[in-house]
Amino acid sequence: MWAILSGIEGNLTAYEAVLRDLKRQSVEIEALYILGDILGLQGPVEALLERLQSPQGGERTPQICAGFWEDQYLQMQGWGGGQPEAALSQYGSNVLMELEKRVPRSCLDWLRSLPFGFLELDCLLVHGSSVSVSDELSPQTPPWQLLDYLVRVEANFLFCGRLGQCFSVQLQNSQISSQVTTLDQPLIEQKATSSPRQIIGVGSVGRVSGLARYTLFYPTTGQIRCRTVEYAPNP
Amino acid sequence: MKIAVLSCIHGNYEALNAVLLDLEQHKAEKIYCLGDLVGYGPYPNAVVEMIRSLDIPTCQGCWDEDIVEGLNACECSYPSLLAEQRGKLAHEWTHERIYPEVRDYLAQLPLSLREGDLCFTHGSPQNQHEYLLPEMNAFAALERVLSTGANTLFCGHTHVPYVRTLEAGSIRLRVDYKGESGEETVFTTPLRRIVNVGSVGEPRHGRPNATYVLYDTETDHVQLREVEYDYQKTCAAIIEQGLPPIFAWRLARGLEFAERADDPSHICER
Repeated sequence: MWAILSGIEGNLTAYEAVLRDLKRQSVEIEALYILGDILGLQGPVEALLERLQSPQGGERTPQICAGFWEDQYLQMQGWGGGQPEAALSQYGSNVLMELEKRVPRSCLDWLRSLPFGFLELDCLLVHGSSVSVSDELSPQTPPWQLLDYLVRVEANFLFCGRLGQCFSVQLQNSQISSQVTTLDQPLIEQKATSSPRQIIGVGSVGRVSGLARYTLFYPTTGQIRCRTVEYAPNP
Repeated sequence: MKIAVLSCIHGNYEALNAVLLDLEQHKAEKIYCLGDLVGYGPYPNAVVEMIRSLDIPTCQGCWDEDIVEGLNACECSYPSLLAEQRGKLAHEWTHERIYPEVRDYLAQLPLSLREGDLCFTHGSPQNQHEYLLPEMNAFAALERVLSTGANTLFCGHTHVPYVRTLEAGSIRLRVDYKGESGEETVFTTPLRRIVNVGSVGEPRHGRPNATYVLYDTETDHVQLREVEYDYQKTCAAIIEQGLPPIFAWRLARGLEFAERADDPSHICER
């Protein structure tokens, strides 16, 4: 069984609550993924980063990819070739100062080393979409767009975290007819079908104070469970 | 109304003149150009001046972008080191000769244009560097058209013309959200179409002739046009001007040489 988390956003208390919940599971956790947004506005991240890099007895070492806040922070520090415009437009002009206060400069190299995502078995695990960490996939995203994100990487499952909520969109029995005319060849007719595929929002561990959400996935059966963990937030 | 759509002229003034004559003979009332005015060919300034003088609505191509932004815009798009070396030589050659006002013109070109239910772009609606090949996954191809809101998407960039219709698309969908399991929904789409207009100045369909497209907005008919011209003049100019001779060799054969990108759908993140 895999545990898939996202959006801790500096909330170490919430992360600890999830780790306790994982220890209570009857099935062994074979892999622990964190789909970005370690950084965020919920709390200072120094202690969280230490905790992530030093798993305690019996805990899996988390596999972490970059998220929206990591991307924006790196852009803020001059990496990535742009300005953190998405954060500015969504969270206002003070957001960069608030982020700077919470993130130690010493973690810059570690942040730069984070991968875009993971492709494991037939699963893509990313923060946003297969195109960008800033994409916010949701049940309202047009189904053709969702299918495109899966087809691009030939995956059957796409786990994402940008929305911060648990959801699942199952795409079943997709089909389409296509005809191609060229200068020289006769008309080529094709019928394409797509096997069932799924987009899963894995929830957010730290965004909502007192309520951590994450996802458990059984890769052999495809079963998905959204877990909600209540905890006492720091005063 | 009869519309002519051209792309990928690549500094080939002879080819552009031949196409302009052909579309005039076919009574095209409006012309659209999908970019890549410069690069590879010996007359980038003359081509841009001609397009501007005719006031042809034009999108920015990947070569136009690279000349404005520098090659860092997508250095990962070359299929091999050899192709990269040649591409850089052509880029430097063009970069050194292009007039400042031509560069300014290329810089302000839009990434896409719309007219009614038609959308015009160089590579794909998402990126000038993406190749919409005819064998591209049909669902992905459909998404590119749907993302524009248009019924027909005109593109270039591959240098090989084709028309692809996409119809009877359907997806069965079920959503689980906020603890509730939704009912199954079926999404269907009406007919959509991708028209790749080929290349005026650097064709890769196996012959040296220029290619472009005529489209009749009333009958909805698409005609792939192939125009003969004196390509050897351009080949000679390529060599005389000190551009890599391979560009003349492949223009004479209408081939891309032997190399192809490993992942044509790759989108540069830069």
